[in-house]
Amino acid sequence: MTDLLSNLGLGFAVALSLQNVALCFLGCLVGTLIGVLPGVGPIATIAMLLPITFGLDPVGALIMLAGIYYGAQYGGSTTAILVNIPGEATSVVTTLDGHQMARQGRGGIALGIAAIASFFAGTVATILIAALGAPLTKLALIFGPAEYFALMVMGLAFAVVLAHGSVLKAVAMILVGILLSTVGTDLETGQERMTFGYAFLTDGVDFSVLAMGLFGIAEILRNLDQSETRDVVRAQIGRLLPGAAELKQATPATLRGTAIGAILGILPGNGAVLGPFASYTIEKKIARDPSRFGRGAIEGVAGPESANNAGAQTAFIPLLTLGIPPNAVMALMVGAMTIHGIVPGPGVMTKNPNLFWGMIASMWIGNLMLLVINLPLVGLWVRLLKVPYRLMFPAILMFCSVGIYSIGSQPTDVMLIGVFGLMGYLLIKFGFEPAPLLLGFVLGKLMEEYLRRSLTLSRGDLMIFLERPVSAVLFVIAFAIIAAALLPSMRKSRDEVFTEA
Amino acid sequence: MKRAIAIGVLAALTSFTAAAETYPQRPITMIVPFAAGGPTDVVARIVAEPMSRALGQQVVVENVTGAGGTTGITRGAQSAPDGYTIMVGHMGTNGAAPALFKGLKYDPATSFDPIGFLGGVPILIVAKKDFPAKDLKGFIEALKAGGPKINQAHAGVGSVSHSTGVLFDSQVGVKPTLVTYRGTGPAMNDLMAGQVDFMADQIVNVGPQVAGGTVKAYAIATPERAPSLPDVPTMKEAGLPGYEVSAWNAVFAPKGLPADVKAKLVAAVEAALNDPTATKRLTELGSNIPKADERGPAALQKLVESEVARWTPVLRSAVESNQ
Amino acid sequence: MSEPVGGSGARGIVRGPQSFVAGLGLIALALFAIWAGGDLARGTLGAIGPGLMPYGLALGVGLCGAALCVAGLLRDGAQLQAMPLRGPVVILLAIGLFAVTIRPFAFGSLSTPGLGLAVAGPLAVLVAGYASHEARFSELAILGLLLTAGCMLLFGDLLNLPIPMLPTALIQALSGTLPSRTLLRIAAGALALAGLVLLVVSRRSAKREPIDVARHSLTT
Repeated sequence: MTDLLSNLGLGFAVALSLQNVALCFLGCLVGTLIGVLPGVGPIATIAMLLPITFGLDPVGALIMLAGIYYGAQYGGSTTAILVNIPGEATSVVTTLDGHQMARQGRGGIALGIAAIASFFAGTVATILIAALGAPLTKLALIFGPAEYFALMVMGLAFAVVLAHGSVLKAVAMILVGILLSTVGTDLETGQERMTFGYAFLTDGVDFSVLAMGLFGIAEILRNLDQSETRDVVRAQIGRLLPGAAELKQATPATLRGTAIGAILGILPGNGAVLGPFASYTIEKKIARDPSRFGRGAIEGVAGPESANNAGAQTAFIPLLTLGIPPNAVMALMVGAMTIHGIVPGPGVMTKNPNLFWGMIASMWIGNLMLLVINLPLVGLWVRLLKVPYRLMFPAILMFCSVGIYSIGSQPTDVMLIGVFGLMGYLLIKFGFEPAPLLLGFVLGKLMEEYLRRSLTLSRGDLMIFLERPVSAVLFVIAFAIIAAALLPSMRKSRDEVFTEA
Repeated sequence: MKRAIAIGVLAALTSFTAAAETYPQRPITMIVPFAAGGPTDVVARIVAEPMSRALGQQVVVENVTGAGGTTGITRGAQSAPDGYTIMVGHMGTNGAAPALFKGLKYDPATSFDPIGFLGGVPILIVAKKDFPAKDLKGFIEALKAGGPKINQAHAGVGSVSHSTGVLFDSQVGVKPTLVTYRGTGPAMNDLMAGQVDFMADQIVNVGPQVAGGTVKAYAIATPERAPSLPDVPTMKEAGLPGYEVSAWNAVFAPKGLPADVKAKLVAAVEAALNDPTATKRLTELGSNIPKADERGPAALQKLVESEVARWTPVLRSAVESNQ
Repeated sequence: MSEPVGGSGARGIVRGPQSFVAGLGLIALALFAIWAGGDLARGTLGAIGPGLMPYGLALGVGLCGAALCVAGLLRDGAQLQAMPLRGPVVILLAIGLFAVTIRPFAFGSLSTPGLGLAVAGPLAVLVAGYASHEARFSELAILGLLLTAGCMLLFGDLLNLPIPMLPTALIQALSGTLPSRTLLRIAAGALALAGLVLLVVSRRSAKREPIDVARHSLTT
């Protein structure tokens, strides 16, 4: 305990220097500004902004990057709520209820609760990292390919629950999403799959491209042809920040979301991506009136957002203690660290205590900055929604194009957002939801990898999934969820839970 | 209209400063065929800074990603040979690519004007920490005895750990089961957890783990030991003298550069390699600073040709046996 | 897969056209995927080939499609929705124009000139705006010019991202006269100025001939 306090003390001493606080603030601000561009999430933002940190000293640069990360993360949620475009996989869930809230004139409350829930989750996760970072890494090593495969299957089972239309259509969308994720060069053999010889497909479809198309462009197309229901956040804007009643309603969801997100975030196999889904599923399951979900339930924003942020933070644990980046954002962090001459690994904590604890302390400061920057901005964001739609959509379209171009300098990526936009539009027209597709896409890629890896290691023996206790338990949960969704005896209650009129 | 006027006025204002018609007149784009933050990007950005100083114009890094780096290199190869577009290729894009990508639109040996070698990152053979063999000889015997029962991790076809790993297998004459990962991070995680037995990878990725004792290194594939890992023997010392590889990076320009432009670029790379800050940072990354005989266009051309010749048979057979 | 309707469809054969057509679409997608991935080895359980997942998934998608078709035949469901063409066509055009003008783009042997964000940005905004019936040229031009100027300063000047900002020809023509950053700032300033001038001009003409913005707006 005294160790913890002295370590945190050291960390705050480093992070609270005037220069580092300023850098943290700057990082959060720039991260928010770029991350709030529709469809541009943390990965894209960090990749874009990484070069501007090169001139700084290592600790300052990493603190600024952490700020950019949190800023971008929150920026991604902001666009998810305001314009229904998720910046990254984990904010897909936020679009479901957050954007509904915005449509009902409760955008400010949704943004506010997202910021507060994120801050709370960030605080808890910071303490968790400081106190238990080192012992928790053991958890990372229990999870082998079989466990991750089971985890992904469980995630897909959650994705069924996320949908509020027909279960059949949701399953179809998940399968299409996984199918789409198989396009590109096969990791194991290097063969091209369904690329038709096009160079721009050899790396597969990029998440940002797909999300911008399916959500951003498709949403524009849909709004354009429904002139009578084009309610894009009209009427009254309502209160800007959540009140006591709303906070009270959101608190249990935030607590649960934080716990779920923090645990999943520690897993180095990109487990954090499951946090928001798991949180949303649980909130929907235990809610007294599940039909509110998908129509602007505040728990549907608070839970997933806190899970998202807790996971985003605990994802640093495998990086800082094992030197293993658990996801693409953390891989970029490794790049940033090496560029400053710090190679992450098991020794970072003892060799560079300043950096290690300074960064942990700056995480908390970063979260605080987010609150400081974003609560006042909520008013501005919400006011943006008052811009007439005939001017709003060309602007969104241009930002999407510039954003996607700046990620990989590929004109074909820009064209692809148009193609996926059209696809998303057709899906909506035929009563499909894009969210399960996107989730299938994200999880499917990982799932195939883990499946093939497990079976390579077991030499084709399927029992590997049942012999290992953690994997067996996860499979049981997954099947229980699916059974609950499909069992005829539960038909009636299922309809209540999953179907929206 | 307004813009035309503004430009006209400014052009008039600046015309009397009589700009000399010498290269470079404007910023130079340096294509890095991988995402920002990756190992090649890091190296490129480190040298871009002193190169900018030497050239008197900014060298701007542009990350053009895709298809194992070949998208960016293809774009670079097809751009005008005026010295305003250069690129950083690496072992994969300008050595192994012809063996891995069938429809490749460039030839590493003939499509470029080589500018300069930026050095290589040494490769190590690492195993899980409780692997019984004590040294490389014992390890190779265990690999031979184990055959397909041994699991070898790699970070995807075309990655450094894949290419150098199958080269190791073919030189030693073993056929372990290859387990594919997306990137080095997850592969290292499973190596630490003991799910897989061994892998080949760059010192920048495995060095801290070796130093931390979470994995075990048998040998390093360079002529000399690495200063950061003094206890790890070289391949030659450990008994496998032919296995010398590194993940190298180098600067290329599209074919047909004017001689004076080429000379300036070559000099700029040379200046970068003599810059104390840049060399310090490259060394920290584990990258070797090129020796005198490794520098310059001719040495680079020779390297590319020998790399293509080395990788083509090994990777072709590895990829074909997989399909 | 195809199930005879067997008299259950009393009022026309297809009772849920939306589901039915959606199902057909999924079946078509499945067939397409099976064809596209037909050349890939499926492998064995111990060594799963690249073709197994796509094949299995395509079968699953096809089955879902078949089930939706059946549901469309048996159960009353939603009608097909009208699909106006103007929105999708114009939006896709705007995106396509942005993609081919931001940097040189090759169609076979032909190549577009790289015009940079300074041209591609306003062009995309202007064209996209016409996806709506309420598009007004001056309004869109102002928006396009001002947004582009802002983006040029944010991405080019502040963040130093390698997005082409100005037409390649212009950069080459002015090569050596001005530092590129100054050029960028001048260009962004010029765009912003043009936008502001237009704004003032259109405000004036709007005063003379008042237009009720709210009534025309799609969103109010």
